[in-house]
Amino acid sequence: MLRLINYLLKQGVATAKNICPDLAEGVRGLPMLTDTPCQSGCSACVEICPTEAISVFKIDDKNNVRLDLGSCIGCGYCVDVCPTGTIQNNPTTRVAVRTREELILTTAGASAEAANKEIVLQGRTSSKIPKADSLDKAHWFSRSVAARVVSTGCSACDMELGAAGNPIFDIERFGVHIVASPRFADALIITGPVSKGMQEALVSCYGAMSSPRVVVALGTCAISGGVHKGGYAEANGVENILPVNVYIPGCPPHPWSIIHGMLLAMGKEHLAPAPKK
Amino acid sequence: MKLERQQISFQQLQEKLNHALAKTPNKTSDTRVGLLTSITGGEIATLMLSPTDGTAELMVTALENNKFPSLSTRHAQFHWFERALFDFFGIVPEGHPRFKHLLLHDQYPQDFFPLRKIALPDDFKNHLARRYEYLEVKGEGVYELPVGPIHAGVIEPGHFRFSCFGETIVNLEIRLGWVHRGVEKRLTEVPWQKAHFVAEAAASDTALANAFAHAIAIESILDIAVTERAEYLRTIALEIERLAVHIIDVGGIGTDIGLLGVSSAMGRLRGKALGLADLLSGSRFLRGFIFPGGVRPVSERKLSEIKAGVIALKKDLTPVIQILSDNQMATERMKDIGKLSKSLAHEFGMVGIIGKACGLECDTRQQFKQGKYPELAPQAVIESGGDILARTAVRIGEIWSSLDTIEKLVDACPHGEEKVAVPDKLPANATGLGIVEATRGELIHLIFTDEEGKICRYAIKDPSFDNWTAISIAIRDNLIADFPLCNKSMALSYSGNDL
Repeated sequence: MLRLINYLLKQGVATAKNICPDLAEGVRGLPMLTDTPCQSGCSACVEICPTEAISVFKIDDKNNVRLDLGSCIGCGYCVDVCPTGTIQNNPTTRVAVRTREELILTTAGASAEAANKEIVLQGRTSSKIPKADSLDKAHWFSRSVAARVVSTGCSACDMELGAAGNPIFDIERFGVHIVASPRFADALIITGPVSKGMQEALVSCYGAMSSPRVVVALGTCAISGGVHKGGYAEANGVENILPVNVYIPGCPPHPWSIIHGMLLAMGKEHLAPAPKK
Repeated sequence: MKLERQQISFQQLQEKLNHALAKTPNKTSDTRVGLLTSITGGEIATLMLSPTDGTAELMVTALENNKFPSLSTRHAQFHWFERALFDFFGIVPEGHPRFKHLLLHDQYPQDFFPLRKIALPDDFKNHLARRYEYLEVKGEGVYELPVGPIHAGVIEPGHFRFSCFGETIVNLEIRLGWVHRGVEKRLTEVPWQKAHFVAEAAASDTALANAFAHAIAIESILDIAVTERAEYLRTIALEIERLAVHIIDVGGIGTDIGLLGVSSAMGRLRGKALGLADLLSGSRFLRGFIFPGGVRPVSERKLSEIKAGVIALKKDLTPVIQILSDNQMATERMKDIGKLSKSLAHEFGMVGIIGKACGLECDTRQQFKQGKYPELAPQAVIESGGDILARTAVRIGEIWSSLDTIEKLVDACPHGEEKVAVPDKLPANATGLGIVEATRGELIHLIFTDEEGKICRYAIKDPSFDNWTAISIAIRDNLIADFPLCNKSMALSYSGNDL
C-alpha cells in the first residue's frame, strides 16, 4: 500500500487545466459547414454519408448543404470527398447544445430555419412523451448535479463517460457525480438508441426521479438512433420517449464534449469558453 | 475465407458433430463449432472450425416441417444458439432442455421472427409465450435476488436473477437482449459499401475487430487481397484496441478489489493507449479505420510516434501492474474465486480470455488468417487456474504481448498503398467468413449473398455469446459479494451479444 501511495505522489497532478480544448491535428471531430460555396450539381457527400445526415437543396439555383449533427457518426468521409471544402472537420470539443434545431446546420443561413424545424418535428413520432420539467431555475444545479446513467447502446459512450471521470478530465471537479440510483439523481444521462427492450426500463427510471429533472441525450444514437434508426427494434433515440434538455452529438462524443454537455445542463458553460485563436 | 455451402442431411450432421466434439478422455478434439444459425429459416447452417490447419466448413441442413431434434441435449455449446434460432427464425429445436426466448422480449408480437425469409408452415403453432419465466429454485430458505436491467454503475443493461441460500449463490440465470437493436437485419438492408459502419456499431468497444472481421469476410467474397501495408496497419490497430480495453479491464479489477490508486492510474494510462489509436486513425475507438479494400492512410511520422508511445507506455505500465501483482490482498481476493474447469469450458465452447484462463488453446491469432497473423502471431498467453486470478493474468500477459507486437509490426511495416480498388458488386450466392481474435476472443462474421449479389443474411457471433454461460457456471456456490469481481474479470459485452 505504501508503494502505491508513493507511486501516486510521484505521478503528480494529471488533471488538465485547459477546459474543453480543441482536438489535436489529425483527430476527427464532427464536420462543420464553411462559407465556401458548394459546387453546383455535386452530391458526393450525400451519397457517401452512412446515416443520411446530409442533404443538398437548392435556393435560387445555388446548391446548399444541410447537415444534421444529430445523425452524424463522425466518420469524416464527407470531409474527404467534398471538392470545394464546404464541409470541413471541426476540431472543437464544445459541441453540446440545448435544442435539437441547433444541431442542424445549413449553408443557407436564416432562410432555411423554417425548413429545419420541419425536419426536427418529423423525427418526433410519438405524442405520448411526458412534458419536460420546467427548468427556468437552471442554477438549481449550478453547484452540483447528481447524474444517473442509463445505457441502451453499444458501450462506447459509456466508456467515454467513464473516461470523463478519470484523472485527466475529472468531471467531478465541476460538481457532476455519477450516482447509483435514480432516486437521488437530478440528471438522467442516456446513451444508446433506446430500442424496444429498454424503453419500459428507461421510462420507469425517469419516473423514479424527483423533479426537476434534466435529461441528457449522450451520443448520436441517443439523439436520433444513428445507424440503427428505422429498424424493427424501434431504436430511434430518446426523443420519442422522454423530453430532452441537452444533446451531446458524436459517435462517441469526446470526454471533453461530455463535460461540455454537463456544464450546459448546469448552466455553467462559461467555464468552457471558446479557445483563443 | 471463402466457404462452400455443403448440403448434408441432419443425420450426417449429427454424426459429424458426435465425431468432432467427442468427449474422450485425454483427447480434447481440435475441431470446434463456430456458430449455428439459419439463412432463410428453411435450414440450419453449422460452421465448423479446424484450428490446426486454419480452415472452416459450412454445413447446410434443410429442415422438414420447421423443426429439428435439439442438438443441445448432447452438445451443450448449442443451448443459446438454438434459442436464438427460434427467436429470429421461428425454427423449433425439439427437446431443448431450457427452451425459451433469448433476445426478443415481451414487447414483440407473438409470431414475430425478424430474420425469417420464407413463410411459416401452415400448421405452425407457437406454444412458447413471450413472457419470460425464470428458473425457480425451490426449498426452504432459498430466496431470489433480481439485479438489472439497469445496473448501479455506468455499464450496459442485463438482468441477473440470483437464487441464493444465505450468502451463497445456488443458481444464476442471465437474461439478455435489452439492447437488441436489430443489427443483423440492418446489415442486410444498407448498401454493402456502407455496411462496415453498422458492423462497427455491433459492439463499439471492439469496433475495430468488428470492422476487421467484416472486411475479411467481404474481401473473401470478392476474392481480392489487400496490400501488405494495409495488412500490417490492420494488425497494429487490432493490438492497439486490445491494449486499451485490457488496460481499463485490469484497472476495473483494481476498482472492485478496492485498490483505487491502481484503477485511477490505469484509467489515465488507457488514455495513452487511446492516444495511439488517435494517431493511427484519428479516432479514439479506431472507428472508420478499416473498410473492405484497405485502411485509411497513415503517415510514416505517425507510425514512429506510435512506436515512441508504445515504448513510453511500457515504462508507465510496469510499476502499476507490478503493484497489483505483488499485492497480497489482491491475489487472495482473486484466487480460487469464480472458478471454471477446463472440461466445462471445453464442453460449452468458451473462447477468448475465459478459455485461455482455463488452459484452452483458443487464441485464433495463431490459427486463422487475419492481417499478418498467424505468421507474426505472438505466443498465446495460457493459464490453468480458471479463476479470477488466472483471467487477470491472461489480460496482463496480453498487455505485454500486444505492446511487443505493435513495436515489431511498426518496425516491419512496409511502404506502399493503403487501399486497393474494390468492385461495385458482390458475386451471387457466395459465402464469406471473417474470424478475428477480438479483445474478448473469437469474433465471427459470416456473410451470405443471394442470386442478385445482395447480402441476404449476415450473422455475427460475438465471443460473449459463447461466454455468458461461463459466469453462471463459475459463480455457482460462490458468495454473492464475489459476483461483481467475477463479472468484471470476464468483462463480457452485452451489445455484442444482443446485437
